[in-house]
Amino acid sequence: MDSGIVSYGFQYGCILIEAGLIVFVAQSSHRNRFVSVLLYLSCLLAAGLARSYILHRFGLHSAQYCYVYWTTDFLLVISAFILVCLFFRRACLHQEKMWPFVRLLLVFIFVLVVGISGLIFSRNYSHLFLQFIVEFNQNLYFACLVLNTLLYLLLQQIDSVDDQLGLLVCGVGIQFAGPAATLALIHLTTGEGFAQSLGSLAMRFCTLGMLLVWTYAIVPVRGRAVVTRSKAAVLAEVTAHLNI
Amino acid sequence: MILAALILILSTAMFFFYFQVTCQKVLRRQFDREYFQSIVNANRLEFPSWRKSLEEFGAPVDYPRLRMMLKCDFLALTYLLKNAANVNQRYSNEERLLILYFRWQFLSLAVRRLLKVGEKKAVLRLTSVLQYFANVVGQRVNTVRFGNLTAADYLLNL
Repeated sequence: MDSGIVSYGFQYGCILIEAGLIVFVAQSSHRNRFVSVLLYLSCLLAAGLARSYILHRFGLHSAQYCYVYWTTDFLLVISAFILVCLFFRRACLHQEKMWPFVRLLLVFIFVLVVGISGLIFSRNYSHLFLQFIVEFNQNLYFACLVLNTLLYLLLQQIDSVDDQLGLLVCGVGIQFAGPAATLALIHLTTGEGFAQSLGSLAMRFCTLGMLLVWTYAIVPVRGRAVVTRSKAAVLAEVTAHLNI
Repeated sequence: MILAALILILSTAMFFFYFQVTCQKVLRRQFDREYFQSIVNANRLEFPSWRKSLEEFGAPVDYPRLRMMLKCDFLALTYLLKNAANVNQRYSNEERLLILYFRWQFLSLAVRRLLKVGEKKAVLRLTSVLQYFANVVGQRVNTVRFGNLTAADYLLNL
């Protein structure tokens, strides 16, 4: 099967699930607990829709698509960092002594990423806009992956009973780890066609994975494994079975 | 180059780590009672006895037989998952995820067997997936058998 079709299938599937989850979370009575999720999903949805529109209007190799792609990527990375920060806050809700230290660490990492990206950017001024954003996005993305793993370890350390947060963190881990690996693979294979199409597929596959894990975590478990059949259907079946 | 290779290795490891943790969190789901026992008895599944012998006695593993048993139980349970008391006749998302996890662990068992490292752990993980499947099937069958309709309801509706 053409990888382009699969990739588009994943993309539109993701957009549908994102929209569904946003509606579900916004309508639920626990929406205050999922502000971070709502924010990240909204950014994902907005980025997906904007990219699709610009791609359709101007084409893959246009300058407009390039700028929109990297600007939305910047937005996504920033929202991913905020998501991880809010997850840390939720994990430290009952650990008031730990939170000031964690907050300081998060600020320090953000400043460090900005500093490193600026340092690399200062060596080359030729592509003022893209050079910095690409560098910054890559660094912050990897920092989010590392922070997410630290958060998972923290949850184990404090023996957290918030199983939902654990699942949300796992979803984020899948979303960050897959693309990081494929970007590294593309870099190692010097951007060959196969690696690029694999990368595009893997990123969408990972986003879909995260959305499914989040759906499992957020949508109530009750009734998931239960087969719902109408009373009339059961009655008809039993009657037919007994030949009454 | 070295940094990219390092990121590739670390990120791939983290991806599989998160995949495994997610599956284990799904497997930790509590059922209101042990539905799997009736399914095991009705279908003569072997995994509980293997798991018991591994957990309690640490019995040496007859690998070819174990592999065959796991495969047969897996095929039987996945068939039941899809067809027994399942109105939609398709797997749910978590079932698909766990089927993938089972296959991955099955492959990992073969590798562990070759390296002679942590075979018991892999077998226990595989049996926990099978137990989850049996619990889901048991719960579904139980729901359909009684549904919203008790015996008294049925008689009243005649």
